[in-house]
Amino acid sequence: MTLLVVEDLHTHFISRDIDNRTRVAKALNGVSFSLDAGRILGIVGETGAGKSLTAQSVVGLLRPPAKVVAGSVKFEGRELTDMPQAELNKIRGAEIAMVVQNPRTSLDPLTRVGDQLVRLHQIHSRGSQADSRKRALEMMEAVGIPDPESRAKSWPHELSGGMAQRVLLAMSLMNAPKLLIADEPTTGLDVTVQAQILDLLRDLVARFNMATMIITHDLGVVAHFCDDIAVMFGGSIVETGPVAEVFAAPLHPYTRNLISATPERFQMGGAKALGGQPPDLFNLPPGCALQSRCAFATDTCRNPVPNIEVTPGHFALCHYAGKLDAEPAIEVRA
Amino acid sequence: MTDATPDTVAPDKAFVAERSRSSQIWNRFIGIVRLSPTAAVGLFIIGVFAVLAVLAPWIMPHDPVAAYTDRVLQAPSAEHWFGTDGNGMDVFSRVIYGARFGFGIAIPAVLLSLVIGVPVGLIAGYRGGMLDEVLMRFFDGLRVFPSIILALAVVAATGQSLINVVLVLGLLDAPVFARVVRAEVLALRSSNFVESAVAAGNPTWRILFVHLLPNAIQGAMAQTAVRAAWAVRISATLAFLGVGIQAPTPEWGAMIRQGAEFMVSGQWWVALYPGLALILMVFGLNLFGDGLRDLMDPRRRTAS
Amino acid sequence: MTAPVLNVRGLSKRFPVGGKRFVNAVNGVNLSIAPGETLGMVGESGSGKSTLGRVILRLTEPTEGSIEFNGHDITHIPIGKVRPLRRDMQMVFQDPWSALNPRMRIRDLIAEPIKLHMPLSRSERDDRTEALARRVNLSTSLLNRTPANLSGGQLQRVCIARAIATDPKLIVLDEPTSSLDLSVRAGILELLAEIRDETKAAMLFISHDLGTVRMISDRIAVLYLGEVVEQGRAEVLFESPAHPYTQALLSAHLPADPAIKVTRHVLEGEVPSPIALPSGCKFHTRCPVAIDRCRSDIPPTIEVPTGQQARCLRIPDGGNIIQRKEPA
Repeated sequence: MTLLVVEDLHTHFISRDIDNRTRVAKALNGVSFSLDAGRILGIVGETGAGKSLTAQSVVGLLRPPAKVVAGSVKFEGRELTDMPQAELNKIRGAEIAMVVQNPRTSLDPLTRVGDQLVRLHQIHSRGSQADSRKRALEMMEAVGIPDPESRAKSWPHELSGGMAQRVLLAMSLMNAPKLLIADEPTTGLDVTVQAQILDLLRDLVARFNMATMIITHDLGVVAHFCDDIAVMFGGSIVETGPVAEVFAAPLHPYTRNLISATPERFQMGGAKALGGQPPDLFNLPPGCALQSRCAFATDTCRNPVPNIEVTPGHFALCHYAGKLDAEPAIEVRA
Repeated sequence: MTDATPDTVAPDKAFVAERSRSSQIWNRFIGIVRLSPTAAVGLFIIGVFAVLAVLAPWIMPHDPVAAYTDRVLQAPSAEHWFGTDGNGMDVFSRVIYGARFGFGIAIPAVLLSLVIGVPVGLIAGYRGGMLDEVLMRFFDGLRVFPSIILALAVVAATGQSLINVVLVLGLLDAPVFARVVRAEVLALRSSNFVESAVAAGNPTWRILFVHLLPNAIQGAMAQTAVRAAWAVRISATLAFLGVGIQAPTPEWGAMIRQGAEFMVSGQWWVALYPGLALILMVFGLNLFGDGLRDLMDPRRRTAS
Repeated sequence: MTAPVLNVRGLSKRFPVGGKRFVNAVNGVNLSIAPGETLGMVGESGSGKSTLGRVILRLTEPTEGSIEFNGHDITHIPIGKVRPLRRDMQMVFQDPWSALNPRMRIRDLIAEPIKLHMPLSRSERDDRTEALARRVNLSTSLLNRTPANLSGGQLQRVCIARAIATDPKLIVLDEPTSSLDLSVRAGILELLAEIRDETKAAMLFISHDLGTVRMISDRIAVLYLGEVVEQGRAEVLFESPAHPYTQALLSAHLPADPAIKVTRHVLEGEVPSPIALPSGCKFHTRCPVAIDRCRSDIPPTIEVPTGQQARCLRIPDGGNIIQRKEPA
């Protein structure tokens, strides 16, 4: 069941600088994707590609000078982009839950952990304090926090990174969300703790049948915990499709470079074709944003770029999607 | 949840070439007004006084120390816009000329404060420990002392002169800059670029003056306008008390002193106009100092 | 066998944190690096890897132990004498944005070590700066810009140029690619490898990311709570890790390929605080194969058949290998 449909989303940063010039940064340029219940979508991209911004645009958490200037976001058929804040507030924290980076700084430092969970529940439900407390303990157990009764009395600064992340997850579950957005949920956590959190996340998604979006820069996380992948660059989704397919046969030049740069495939000596300047969002070129650093760029690339479905469910935003010369196959180093 | 602007890497050079020099200046002005109306207003006021100070000899209708003995204590008129004072001198010209003293005292005093206060703040902040304690306690002591009394004492001891007033003010205000710089250094000294500089093999003096100073000076810069306002005010107060500046020098404080006697007998213009000038200049400096912070923060953009 | 560039024996570092408590960041570390060799140091939070890097360079003072650099004992020499040594031992930091003075030009940042340590004239210095910029694939047009105008990858190249400016014998790199985007990392690593091969500098590459470490290291040392629990040649360590922690670490690493099956040994709990170190073997609180003795006895360094050294009481009886669970 499709819970979220984002269509042609455009978000711009509009401001004036000290020389009184209007400057427009086109941070999201026609982002479209959908989320189904029980499936996990992994969004990857470099800094500035627009991953976090997409999440914020979807749930209406943009502050000036950022604005959604075009496009639609439909959650269960309801349009979110023009919804008044009061109504959005009912959905946020309840039906749509968001877990962010830096778990320790996302918690209110002056309130005990258990009380924060209860508070969040009370905002959205009509139950009693006792009901909320009970649910808080249940959720803390669900996320694997040992000894929830005494943990609930902790202050945020007493928690380790992994524990704080579990608390944030518990918070997001308090109101039985249908859609979960996790922005870099494991960045900054130890690898051994990361493993625990990801296992937990997958378990929760299955149990509660949530539609889930994970934003990350770690391809390993996407490879093993996500069902679908969306690769972002310069404010657009340049490739999207089932994880196994995209990794095995990437279509977009950017994705191909990204995958070939991973330790599992990288051969020393191959770095010349990779990387380059991030796109200047104030001055995007006409057509494809990757032009200046793409090995396959031609004059055609200055024209508006089509989103081509090369195989069912596998899209690439490139004039030459599916038609690029076969390179030597990207080998996996044993 | 965030109002971060995306990174730009390449400055858009194309833009700059399009505008003529004068429209660039005008637009920079509009940009400043939008970013910080406070700073713009303050800047305007200071600008007016600066123009007066510089162009004084050409715009004063009368010689500021020319005494028209036949026109003593005349009310404002077409000939003397602000009237004349007890010696028959034109108040308007004297007020204009007085702007020179405002700047002439404030600027050297603030510079002196910076020269003393900044290095002390740098060293105290970086070294910490006993040195920090001693320096800061000494400066705290200076701050606690009522500045007027101290200034009076110094001038009484060293004699009436403008230089002494400037020196005293410079010394008295140094602690403020030392504190501000010290606070920034405390925050910066454990930052990565300082560690990187140490790792590269920089001796301590280079760390202080090449690395820390340019980065720690921002707070001090924002303070300069405010401290300049203080210097103007204090020097006027001192002159009012008869210290440092003697009549018939056309300094606003001295003028207010002379004019105070006449307030009671109804000749209000002698003290009022220099008083207004003083208030306005201090106000302008304070406004500018306040708004400077907004201007200097490169992340501030007004949404349009 | 050539003399090692760096030889560290029994190095420890403790930080006081009020009262009689200490953060035991580094606890008795032994390691050495030969010229032209890259030692990868892997560890998670609380492992003390960053602190170790700093202590080696005397950016912070060691509590115990000895540091031998180029044959000289530099553990206790006064800071004034350490400064000229910095010509030969340099550091690349994790976060290129904060590691560079935001108000200096790139040109001056790269030239600074040269200015401090090499008696060159102004024009010689300029030439060398430009040569360094080219060496790290940095466009010379960027030399007059300030750090705010460069991307992360470019900034890290500047940091590398700074680090190699005086041809140092030892370069310590503290998570040099962790803050960078994926597509940029490979280029930086390649550059480092080239530099190492050309200059024969010894490199200490500190990272929490196994994938990255694998790409560039000759030997690897695994740190847990301030101790080296396993050390050996990179390929050997990855193929047949001896210490249970190394095994767990390797299995927790997610390869960027869905086709590679992962068998996960998920560790319980979290890293204990370095303020209250566990007794005996410090890993015993989370170790899936720990026995009673591990709580009381400190494991000696044992050389295993595959060639690396590890500190685990279960190696003699073969119990150090965690049995493989079902693939995830």
